[in-house]
Amino acid sequence: MHIELYNVSKRFGDITANDGVSLDIREGEVVALLGENGAGKSTLMKMLFGLYPPDDGAILVDGKETSIHSPQKAMSLGIGMVFQQFSLIPALSVLDNLLLAYPRAPFWTFRHLFETSAARSGQILDYLHELAPGLAPHTLVRDLSVGQRQLLELIKVLNLNARVLILDEPTSVLPPQEAERLWGMIRKLAEGGRSVVLITHKMEDVMACADRVVVMRNGKLINTLERDDCTEVSLVQMMMGERVDRAPVTTPPHDSVTRQPAKVLIRDLAASQGLQSIRGINLELRPGEILGIAGVSGNGQHLLADALVGLARLSAGDVIIDGVTLQSASRSPASSGQVSYIPEQPAVNAVAADLSLTVNVALSHFRNLSFFPHWAPEKATTESILENYEVRPPNPDLKAGQLSGGNLQKLVVGRELKDEKDLIVAAYPTMGLDAGAAHDIYQALFRKAAEGAAILWISEDLDDLMEYAHRIAVIRGGEIAGIFDPREADRYDIGRAMTSQQSDETPPTPDTNVETRTGVSG
Amino acid sequence: MEMIIIEVLSLLFAALRSATPVLAVVLGEIMTQRSGVINLGVEGQMLMGAMTGFAVTAITGDPWLGVVAACGAGILLSLVHVVLVLGCGANQIASGIAVMILGGGLSAYYGIPFVGEKINSFDSFGGSGIGSIPLIGRFLGATTPTVLLTLISIPVISLFLYRTRSGLHWRSVGESSEITRNLGHSPVPYQFAAIVFGGLMSGFAGAALAVDYTSNWVEHMTAGRGLVAVGLVIVARWNPWYALPAALLFGVSEALNLRLQSWGVDVSQYLLATLPYLIPLVVLMLSFRGLKAGGGGMPMGLKAVFTNS
Amino acid sequence: MNQTTTAATSPITGLKRLLNGPWTPAAIMVLAFVAASMAFFAINGREPVGLFFEMVRGGFGDGYSFSETLVKTSPILLTALAIALPARLGLISVGAEGQLYLGALFGTGTVLLAFDQPGWLLMPLMLAGAMVGGAVWGIVPALLKTRLGVNETISTLLLNYVGILMVSFVVHGPWKNPNSLGWPSTVEFPEGAILPTFFDTRVHMGLVFGIVAAMILHVLVTRSRWGLGLQVSRSNPRVGATAGISYEKNVLLVMAIGGLLAGLAGIAEASVIQNRLQDGLATGYGLTGFLVAWLSGQHFLRIIPLSILMGGLMASADSLQLYAQLPKASADILQAVLFIIVLAVGGLWRRRTMA
Repeated sequence: MHIELYNVSKRFGDITANDGVSLDIREGEVVALLGENGAGKSTLMKMLFGLYPPDDGAILVDGKETSIHSPQKAMSLGIGMVFQQFSLIPALSVLDNLLLAYPRAPFWTFRHLFETSAARSGQILDYLHELAPGLAPHTLVRDLSVGQRQLLELIKVLNLNARVLILDEPTSVLPPQEAERLWGMIRKLAEGGRSVVLITHKMEDVMACADRVVVMRNGKLINTLERDDCTEVSLVQMMMGERVDRAPVTTPPHDSVTRQPAKVLIRDLAASQGLQSIRGINLELRPGEILGIAGVSGNGQHLLADALVGLARLSAGDVIIDGVTLQSASRSPASSGQVSYIPEQPAVNAVAADLSLTVNVALSHFRNLSFFPHWAPEKATTESILENYEVRPPNPDLKAGQLSGGNLQKLVVGRELKDEKDLIVAAYPTMGLDAGAAHDIYQALFRKAAEGAAILWISEDLDDLMEYAHRIAVIRGGEIAGIFDPREADRYDIGRAMTSQQSDETPPTPDTNVETRTGVSG
Repeated sequence: MEMIIIEVLSLLFAALRSATPVLAVVLGEIMTQRSGVINLGVEGQMLMGAMTGFAVTAITGDPWLGVVAACGAGILLSLVHVVLVLGCGANQIASGIAVMILGGGLSAYYGIPFVGEKINSFDSFGGSGIGSIPLIGRFLGATTPTVLLTLISIPVISLFLYRTRSGLHWRSVGESSEITRNLGHSPVPYQFAAIVFGGLMSGFAGAALAVDYTSNWVEHMTAGRGLVAVGLVIVARWNPWYALPAALLFGVSEALNLRLQSWGVDVSQYLLATLPYLIPLVVLMLSFRGLKAGGGGMPMGLKAVFTNS
Repeated sequence: MNQTTTAATSPITGLKRLLNGPWTPAAIMVLAFVAASMAFFAINGREPVGLFFEMVRGGFGDGYSFSETLVKTSPILLTALAIALPARLGLISVGAEGQLYLGALFGTGTVLLAFDQPGWLLMPLMLAGAMVGGAVWGIVPALLKTRLGVNETISTLLLNYVGILMVSFVVHGPWKNPNSLGWPSTVEFPEGAILPTFFDTRVHMGLVFGIVAAMILHVLVTRSRWGLGLQVSRSNPRVGATAGISYEKNVLLVMAIGGLLAGLAGIAEASVIQNRLQDGLATGYGLTGFLVAWLSGQHFLRIIPLSILMGGLMASADSLQLYAQLPKASADILQAVLFIIVLAVGGLWRRRTMA
């Protein structure tokens, strides 16, 4: 199957997401669609998958112009897409999730109909047996690791007889070892005659498995190259373009930080919430230190952050700042004025969506408002944040729910960084932002470190962690599995710490946050 | 010793009889909630079923016709919930309460001529040879067709829910209507069917109460049984098999209420009458602890309704 | 295009703008309710238009009927507040009925204990007892929610039945007046335990309590930091907790205040209307209060006129029962029909404006 996109454009309001992009996808090849966040890669592929209609241009399938008006249509043409947000139902089994996505599922779903080869009706489990031989069909999806879930999504798409597979940033959630396994699988699928489009911003993905590279920037196609004709350096240059007047992100120098005495002590911390638990967490942070927390999502990061800021009850241990106990197992959890919190998914975790931006900003100092609050100064504060962080639209009377995810993220960062705090807990602060905005947020965040705040920074992006953090602690299964110095550690060592190497260990339980991501979020 | 065994057994079967209407509602509501919809209107649907079933039995003299009519009445009233929730996007709790008030009002209004009427009810199985089985025959013989029908519906519902494609879709709608829609299955027909099935079961439950169990009609005679059932759905963890023990909780508390008096325990009947509400409530507390700790079998689609803390 | 041309709109666009205004759904609801209630009368073989106006006259026709409307208004108003305040925190409590009964129970208990005290002491004691009783029946489900996570809708619904049975227990048992023969009840309240009434009618202090409480709550909830905290917690309890707003404390507080108000309604009914505690004290007020709270959109000032309207419906149902032999259940049916119309029109309107 041969697909051509000809001069395709897409606009959202004032923003041009794709500007006259032409691209072809040949049978049996792996195309890497390379670009920074916000370059328009996903939008382009979502048009191919029928999620948005293009404003301009045409899509040709095997030389014939075709209108792909819905994902159903795309799937019937043999185009399948695996998204960053999984559409799996955690409470159902692997088999049930496959059956839900299978077009001709049998009426009776007794398990033995599928498991005993003699009575097998259909090929529902064939790809599962082929690609994940160890995975039992009756395992509940909520007990699977992120890598296994991704594999399951891929199998769902393969079950639809997809000839063209689009994978949206598939390695962003995977530790290095699992990414390697995925690259192998992608090569195998291409050798079997399928085409694979790999949306990515990572150079390793390109180098490991692409046949051709398509570089995008600001909605435009910059260049198309054979993999063998390009180098990492040249690709980075094409991807970034001319980096104009963007000051480098500076972090406090290692030596000056490590000389300081510890400011924040986390001692023997343990907590549990729902199916999640953390235990035996011992960490200390010095003033100005950026402590990165690496780990596969769902290993207790969420609960660790909640426990530090006083949203979860501790079952053991305490948190001490400058000798004063902030949280302790013997007390009810309480938020404190000394800690800033930039949670993941700000729309869900950081704002009251149906209240105004002014109210949402005022929440950071709610305790200090008078009993009948005056709103004029609050509005002024909000306006200055909107301006400094380039939040669009800059109207303090809008409801928080009316802002886009990226703008909301900027607002929350602005709110949390506006005052002097001793400890800043930041979970995935740049998620969903384009490269420029992410850069600005890193700058603002790490400036606070230079001013003496301790920063606990949870991230999935090992590259960013390696670049900016002073130390990287790996969390796995609710425990600290190792602390690394990014100047000398090897990515694969960190990766090994992130995934358990012992095969008898149960996979980590995903936290509630993962479930909302796969569940009701939209 | 023998006396005690007989007493316990007869208490248990008395509990089963009085639990039957509640069990039917629990089963219906489990199916409704499995599709991500909660319906508090089962109380009103049950009352409509009770009144209609009693009236039709009184007029025709045939309790089976009464049961069928009761199911129809329950379905008709549940359509109000369908229209409000699926058609107009109204709040599910509020819509359920509206249906509850409507069912209470309509059944009281149209049931006036039948208050105090006598009807021919079902014969128990006592005469059919079951009663002559040694030891337990006398208890089994006291059961009636509605008890049996309700018990049979448990495996039927389970088979449908866990072992068929439609049941799988039904469950996936309750977990996430959005994902189900993205997979190309519209959630609306399933939620429609789920509410209507709840209507059928609660209408039937009304008949089981008025036509079979009490052979009597008084306005508001269900006295909160439907609401207790909604609570027991949580105790049953949305699993049809656990519906029976959950409903027996209500049955035992009600049977105890009557037994304790006959045993000469000197407690006011009004205080004893609080047991069928308090005991399920206490068990509910324990169940919610499980829910809070995660799991508990709650369909994710209900999360917004149940745990906003 | 300048200002004058935009102002000079054609009649059609003017009409469109009027139809999109905030009053349109309300007008549709009223018209639909009038039509539905007439249809209900017609279905039951009554003369629809005449009976409808008879119904309006029954509630608002003359001074006496209006005073009876106001008598019904006070418990509706207080129970509606008891539902609306928790709703401001996102709680769906249906417990006003039980709280009303508990208020009557505790208030009566206080009266029986302090039977011989002078009125200036007895009255405040009675009111305090009632408030405590109602608040207890609000705090129980609140604790169940905050400690164990029990859904408040289900617990309040079940506790209503328990509250009603507890009143039955005392009036049939320990507090039964030996001289009451057919209809068991406590002894009559002494003079000092009868709440003051106005203008030789049965309209009593309960109405004043309700109106004052509605106004205070309105100011607190819309203007104060506490009210803002409720809004934030309702919208996102997690964010509220991060800002230092305790969801748990607020749940207890709003349920206690709500219960206390419903408790006042209960003792007012026992004291002024019945002069004693008895079975069937005030059946149905709780659900009517729920309806009013929902109709008002949890807006405390709108609750006042809506309670009067609903009081009128209930008062006229009483008079229609007497003069037109219309069963009392018709009031329930009309309330349910009104509720259904409001939910349907409101839901569709919301969907329309979002699209």
